[in-house]
Amino acid sequence: MIKLTNVTRTYIQNKTEFHAIDSISLSVNKGDIYGVIGRSGAGKSTLLRMINLLEIPTSGEVVVDGQELTKLSAKKLRLARQSIGMIFQQFNLVNNKTILDNVLVALELANYPKTERKERALEVLRFVGLEEQIAKYPGQLSGGQKQRVAIARALANNPKILLCDEPTSALDPNTTREILSVLKKINEQLGVTIVIVSHEMEVIKSICNFVTIIDQGKVYETIELNPKGIGDSNHTPEWFLQQLRDGESHA
Amino acid sequence: MPEILVQYQAEIWQSIEETFIMVGVSLLFAIFLGLPLGTLLFLTRKGQLMENRIVFSILNLFVNIVRSFPFLLFVVFLIPFTRWLIGTAIGTAAATVPLSIMAVAYYSRLVEQSLVDVPKGVIEAAVSMGASIREIIFKFLLVEARSGLVLGLTTSTISFISYSTIVGVVGGGGIGDFAIRYGYQQFETELMMYMIIIMIILVQAIQFTGTTISKVIDKR
Ligand SMILES: Nc1ncnc2c1ncn2[C@@H]1O[C@H](COP(=O)(O)OP(=O)(O)O)[C@@H](O)[C@H]1O
Ligand SMILES: [Mg+2]
Repeated sequence: MIKLTNVTRTYIQNKTEFHAIDSISLSVNKGDIYGVIGRSGAGKSTLLRMINLLEIPTSGEVVVDGQELTKLSAKKLRLARQSIGMIFQQFNLVNNKTILDNVLVALELANYPKTERKERALEVLRFVGLEEQIAKYPGQLSGGQKQRVAIARALANNPKILLCDEPTSALDPNTTREILSVLKKINEQLGVTIVIVSHEMEVIKSICNFVTIIDQGKVYETIELNPKGIGDSNHTPEWFLQQLRDGESHA
Repeated sequence: MPEILVQYQAEIWQSIEETFIMVGVSLLFAIFLGLPLGTLLFLTRKGQLMENRIVFSILNLFVNIVRSFPFLLFVVFLIPFTRWLIGTAIGTAAATVPLSIMAVAYYSRLVEQSLVDVPKGVIEAAVSMGASIREIIFKFLLVEARSGLVLGLTTSTISFISYSTIVGVVGGGGIGDFAIRYGYQQFETELMMYMIIIMIILVQAIQFTGTTISKVIDKR
């Protein structure tokens, strides 16, 4: 479903080259909930943003649903983006639009049939449990509710993929669990492939079937997670294991 | 009504009308040229969607040059251009030329600043949904920045009133010009005071309206 091949993203910082992403390859299969974990500054957001080309790789290939995105025209890229939903740590809703309008705008952008837009918007808002709040503005909602609106907006146009950049990092533990269960439901009931970036092991462990650990722009390791948690692994970094142990003692 | 106001009633109404014309035309220019120009200034900035150093530098230079002129000098400086454009450099119509150019430069800067305040993440979300630049401007940027845009326009309008009194030097007319000619130069101090009061009321009303609208439309 998603295949990154040797993607690199280089920034020039103080006249020296800095590889925020240093030749990463990974592939995500249809139906996966794929986690990317790493410390702050590891390059997680940069990597995730390459999947919908918000960040243009300095080199490498980005193939999503059979299309090489770096080769698309601007117009085709916009079309491709309409079937890749994205949510963010800071929600990024339009605060001057009502909840309903925030979702409707996604459908307008995607040229969704005009007469069915409202019905579709209500359907996704119901899916995330916000049908009562549609006339409110984001400023009147809690963080968890805002993230639900963002999820509804991202889902409105029936994307095949949902990208999540630290979706729960601004939320408390209970709300985090709620949002994660919504994501799980999206994956199971709608068959949406999910890529989720986080620095918290708890988040990854509770819903992902694969996790790639990255550090300093490089892949450390990719591990398959089974329902019992983490599989065997020889070279898992110590800080990662530490987080894992911390996570366990909380649970 | 004070006798002196009755005496000059016709002139006063005319001067109010002239002020409204000058400020009104400036406002139209601010909205129809200043708003797009300010949006372009924002979009061509470094790190923005249409980043373009050359376009940005040219627009930025234009805005800075116009705004760094003392307005009186600007009016005088533009006289040849105004004469070429309008056929005369004197009168209310001629006065709208420097006013409108200043209005475009003035408001575009305020527009740019309002747009800078829109969280970058909102633009990013729009891009991630496959929005075109046009859609990003109309469905995201201007929506999210709208209360700042209204406040900016309010500030601009008040400045235009003040500028409009200066163009009295080229026979632009208006309340300020009237106050100076009749009140100050003909020693009708009372009349001048009334004119000042009218201007204060006008400015208060504009500020109140602008502030109220910007609050009502701000849902952030
Ligand atoms: N626009 C940019 N210019 C220069 N450096 C950047 C830019 N964006 C990100 N970086 C750098 O790239 C690295 C990875 O950033 P990011 O992907 O945001 O990390 P993470 O999401 O894992 O915290 C960081 O060191 C950051 O400073
Ligand atoms: Mg990040």
